[in-house]
Amino acid sequence: MIELQDLISPTDYDPMINWILLLLGIPLLSFISSLFIKKNAPIWSTFLLLVNTGIAIFMAFSFWYGDSVSIKGVWFTLGDTVMSYSFYLDRLALLMIALVNLISFLVHVFSMEYMKSDRNKPRYFAYLGLFTFSMLGIVLFHNLLLMFIFWELVGFTSYLLIGFWFEKKTASLAANKAFIMNRIGDAGMLTGLMILFAQFSTFDLEAVKALMIFSEIEDGNWVAHFTNNGQEVMNSLDGRWLSAAGIALFCGAVGKSAQFPLQVWLPDAMEGPTPVSALIHAATMVAAGVFLLARVFVLLDAQALEVVAIVGAITAFMAAIAALSQFDIKKVLAYSTISQLGYMVMAIGVGAYSAGLFHLVTHAFFKAGLFLCAGIIIHQLHKLHSDEIKFNEQDIRVMGGLRLKMPVTFLCFLICSLALAGLPGFSGFLSKDAILLNATAWAEIKGGGYYIVIGLAYASVILTAIYIFRLVFLVFTRGFRLESILNKPGLMDKVKEGNLILLIPAILLAVGSISIVFGANVKAENTWFMQFITNPIYLVPESYAAFSLVDLSEATIKSLHGWVAIVSISLAVGGLVISYFLYRPISKKALIFQDAPEPRGALGRISFNHWYQDVLYEKAIVKFIVIKGKALAWFDEKILDGFVNGLAKTQVVLAHIVRWFDKYIIDGFVHLTVSTSGRIGQATRSIQSGNVQTYILSAMILLILLLLWLMI
Amino acid sequence: MIQGILSYIIFLPLIAAAVVLCLPKRLESSYRIVTVVATGLTLLLTIIAVYSFDGGIAENINSEENLQLLEKSEWFSLDLGSLGSFSVDYFLAVDGISIPMLLLASIVLFIGAISSWNIRQKKKGYFALYLLLSGSVLGCFVALDFFLFYLFFEFMLLPMYFLIGIWGGPRKEYAAIKFFIYTLIGSILILIVMIGLYNSVYDPVRTGAEIGVTSIEQVQTMVQSGEVAREDIIKSFNMIYMADQANYIPGSLLSQMSGGEIIGKSARWIAFLALLIGFAIKLPSFPFHTWLPDAHVEAPTPISVVLAGILLKIGGYGLIRTAFSFFPDSAFHYSWMIGFFGVFSILYGALNALAQKDIKKLIAYSSVSHMGFVLLGLAAMTVEGISGAIYQMFSHGLITSMLFLIAGVLYDRTQDRLIENYGGLANRLPRFTIVVGIAFFASLGLPGFSGFIAELMVFLGAFKSSAVIGAIPQWMPVVATIGLILGAGYYLWTLQRMFMGKYWVKKAEWTERLKDLNSREYLMLVPLAVLVFWFGIFPDTLMSLINSSVEGFTDLLNQAIR
Repeated sequence: MIELQDLISPTDYDPMINWILLLLGIPLLSFISSLFIKKNAPIWSTFLLLVNTGIAIFMAFSFWYGDSVSIKGVWFTLGDTVMSYSFYLDRLALLMIALVNLISFLVHVFSMEYMKSDRNKPRYFAYLGLFTFSMLGIVLFHNLLLMFIFWELVGFTSYLLIGFWFEKKTASLAANKAFIMNRIGDAGMLTGLMILFAQFSTFDLEAVKALMIFSEIEDGNWVAHFTNNGQEVMNSLDGRWLSAAGIALFCGAVGKSAQFPLQVWLPDAMEGPTPVSALIHAATMVAAGVFLLARVFVLLDAQALEVVAIVGAITAFMAAIAALSQFDIKKVLAYSTISQLGYMVMAIGVGAYSAGLFHLVTHAFFKAGLFLCAGIIIHQLHKLHSDEIKFNEQDIRVMGGLRLKMPVTFLCFLICSLALAGLPGFSGFLSKDAILLNATAWAEIKGGGYYIVIGLAYASVILTAIYIFRLVFLVFTRGFRLESILNKPGLMDKVKEGNLILLIPAILLAVGSISIVFGANVKAENTWFMQFITNPIYLVPESYAAFSLVDLSEATIKSLHGWVAIVSISLAVGGLVISYFLYRPISKKALIFQDAPEPRGALGRISFNHWYQDVLYEKAIVKFIVIKGKALAWFDEKILDGFVNGLAKTQVVLAHIVRWFDKYIIDGFVHLTVSTSGRIGQATRSIQSGNVQTYILSAMILLILLLLWLMI
Repeated sequence: MIQGILSYIIFLPLIAAAVVLCLPKRLESSYRIVTVVATGLTLLLTIIAVYSFDGGIAENINSEENLQLLEKSEWFSLDLGSLGSFSVDYFLAVDGISIPMLLLASIVLFIGAISSWNIRQKKKGYFALYLLLSGSVLGCFVALDFFLFYLFFEFMLLPMYFLIGIWGGPRKEYAAIKFFIYTLIGSILILIVMIGLYNSVYDPVRTGAEIGVTSIEQVQTMVQSGEVAREDIIKSFNMIYMADQANYIPGSLLSQMSGGEIIGKSARWIAFLALLIGFAIKLPSFPFHTWLPDAHVEAPTPISVVLAGILLKIGGYGLIRTAFSFFPDSAFHYSWMIGFFGVFSILYGALNALAQKDIKKLIAYSSVSHMGFVLLGLAAMTVEGISGAIYQMFSHGLITSMLFLIAGVLYDRTQDRLIENYGGLANRLPRFTIVVGIAFFASLGLPGFSGFIAELMVFLGAFKSSAVIGAIPQWMPVVATIGLILGAGYYLWTLQRMFMGKYWVKKAEWTERLKDLNSREYLMLVPLAVLVFWFGIFPDTLMSLINSSVEGFTDLLNQAIR
């Protein structure tokens, strides 16, 4: 039998811990020191991040071929349960620390210029440091509880950064929305933690996995059998809790990775500064959900995975539709991010662990690149603002023709767009192809309605190409529409290309979106990424396990591969062509785009309003909760407290009645008695003038006897 | 270690109260110094006591040997003839359940004393009553003789009544009398059970001395088998003895084996319910909570702090120390109901908080919500749940003190507490906003703060409960997680309305009065923030004190149920 303490006992000193602490400590230092340094905070924190990126890349290169390292220790004890912590460095973690640090560093550099004139720069850079720290925490810790802690901290820093310009009401509302939506997901994730803890008495992921192997399904119950400190333990829960645990953990990912039905916070999160959108809401935080799913992948059972796949496909499709008609350049990119995250999540759901993670990495580059390019455009257009020139610099209706003035930005944007659309030669093609291949194989095996799921995924391919090239055409080709809107010809000449501090990060990210970075291959499975990070095997009891893609024969894959590649390429090219016909410089739409109204048709409205999900939430759920709160407050004040006060009032009234009764009835009766007996005395005195007292006494006795008789 | 340290802790504030009363009026400004020094010294003594406390022992909750810093002597004894003798001990000690509460009380009382610095009217009365309150609160947590405990418990009521009723807000009389009557009803229920217990529990040591047997076990078997004559049995108020079912006189009303019945129900169940209601009023739990919003809103800031920071915890502590310890079987019987009221309070308090317009009322309802976690944790009857309940009381004491001080900061400046009358305060009061942010996020259970650890433990314990002991079903903690979402909802909404956006206040003249925190306010808020952080990151600081006692306590519960 497996002993729990062996699995979680503290490990001996490993020099690796120094690297890990350094990696976590530097961003934390950046957070704390930026608040105090004030003036030089941007350069100082960027420098710190440079150092951290250097460390991360160095670690990735030097430990890549070594074994995974696991470092464990005791955090605190709860009764006789040891709450341990553990760090874990495998290739996935090494890759993620390099990725997170690199993109964070590039965003720091970019922000130095972008946030130059903001007086709250120190606060901004401090938040970026805190974010990097918490994100690295999720990556490095290998313990569900500690991951949850950093998970919530990431949500918290995201709240701070979305609401960075808190004077704007929309920004503070968006920050609230993001935090609460994340919290809903986290409440679900906490439930997952409860289930796993009840079963395995530990949060250590390695231990949970080991114990999961030894758990069994007996008579529909999920039984974990192990020893703890030599004592035999047998924890049993209904088998459905096993599926519930997976779905509950997935809830966390639904919140953080903006999946249906909680995805509504991400478009609003665009209220934050654009570099933040690039870092947090495109490349890293939102990918944390996918990372978490990868970490708990082997603990998910067939049912949970199915839910994951379906939710992912729905999200991908819904958001791709919404991205088609937005006017705000960042909103388009935000919906695109949701859609791409849907792909990753779906990949995990169908069992394509490595394909999903591959897409996470490629997406981090091209989407951060797109956001930074958008940031350059916004930043440069913002400079046109003056007393008489006021416009929304994020609205694509005012843009157009920027290719001429901002050629480098255009080139970067184009490369990243091609990667996003999934055209061969760019990284997005490789990873998307891998996902679609696996998803198709999955649908082949499951058959029936599951083709709808991949149908949504394929439909999203064409939609992706349409919406992103819509942006390319409308932003960069034809003339500068702001000129005609404001009737100020020559305004275009004032637009300048961004300076090098802005351009270099964007260029680097664009370069990272070319497929050669992942190996000179057209096939995803030949890239170094897919070679090194392979699909693991499920550990849940056999009767609950999903079909593993590992078991798929090579022949099946080969026969599918050609077909999938052809379909996905033709869909992407098809999307490009459609987009060209709709939005090319001389097209009807492009000509009058500066006056484009909000879409009117049913489909257009659904797209523009993102399926009316927000409206539903605000009008139905939020309102319902607020009204319920008010109703309960009324109940509390009027009914419950009213009852208490009523009780008190009744008491007082009763007391008054008693007092009145006492005064007039009882006391009156006594008075009456006394006066009557007095009169009787008076009356009898004349008759028998003797011992009056004796008479009165006997009269009283008589009266009392009479009373007694009456009462009985 | 200092001999009799617990007595010093209790009597230091009481002596200081006498000093304040004796000081002449022209030395008026020294009252507050005396108060701060006395509570400061009390805190120091408490820290020494905590430092000398050994978390390793105290395995059996119902044995005196496992108590620490014990002081016990006979206080008085009355011979009641045929009714036997009535004897009360002066019995003070701490174990892992009371030591965190003692520490919390000392910290909060000290902070409250600093917060009382600006009291302007009737200073003598205020500070004397505050010190009297301090002494009785501290006494409540260390007294282990039920009579003594009850005495301290009742003694808190009087100063509290006057402190709210004289120094409170516009509706102070109403709030004070409501608080008084509510608590009094609870006390009466507790008193009745106390009398019942006294008639059912004997003192095995003294009884042994009477019949000449030294081994406690032997005495217990002899009494249980009826070998000891009625008049040789010496009854006791000792709460430790009451927690051992072998110390109940066979055939007495509350004996587990042969207890009596009241209106067709086991007398033990009724007694448990009476204690439960008595302390649930104090906690407070739905539906006995309606005194809390009024009392909080009307009480002056330091009194709100003490009320929410400590007095509510006496409810939770009392439940553990009396109801659950004496009647574990009944607790198990009613665990579903207790858990349900816990979950209900969590959601009910949170939804109510969402609708409040007055920031103090909002905090008051958030307390109802958070105290629901205490009930849920207790109802779970698992190590995690009960540790979580204790941790929650400790953590909530610190966080709520912070929250009420924050409300006080605003009220001091503008005499207005309505959320809608402020906007964009972050622009004007940046440092204050940071403190508010810390307190709000700590209260909504952000990891890194103590509240998270507490709620986590409650959740884990409550979920485990059905498999381990079968006390409450699994849906309860799952439903309770909604409380976390609602908590984020009302705090963030408040933060957004009051602190975000453009700076705006209802009356223009407030602007000049709205200055950022002064050094006295820092002195109160910063240590609390540091502590909230500390106990969120290093839970072992507290857990090492309470672990073994809680394990002993759950063992006791488990034995009683089997």
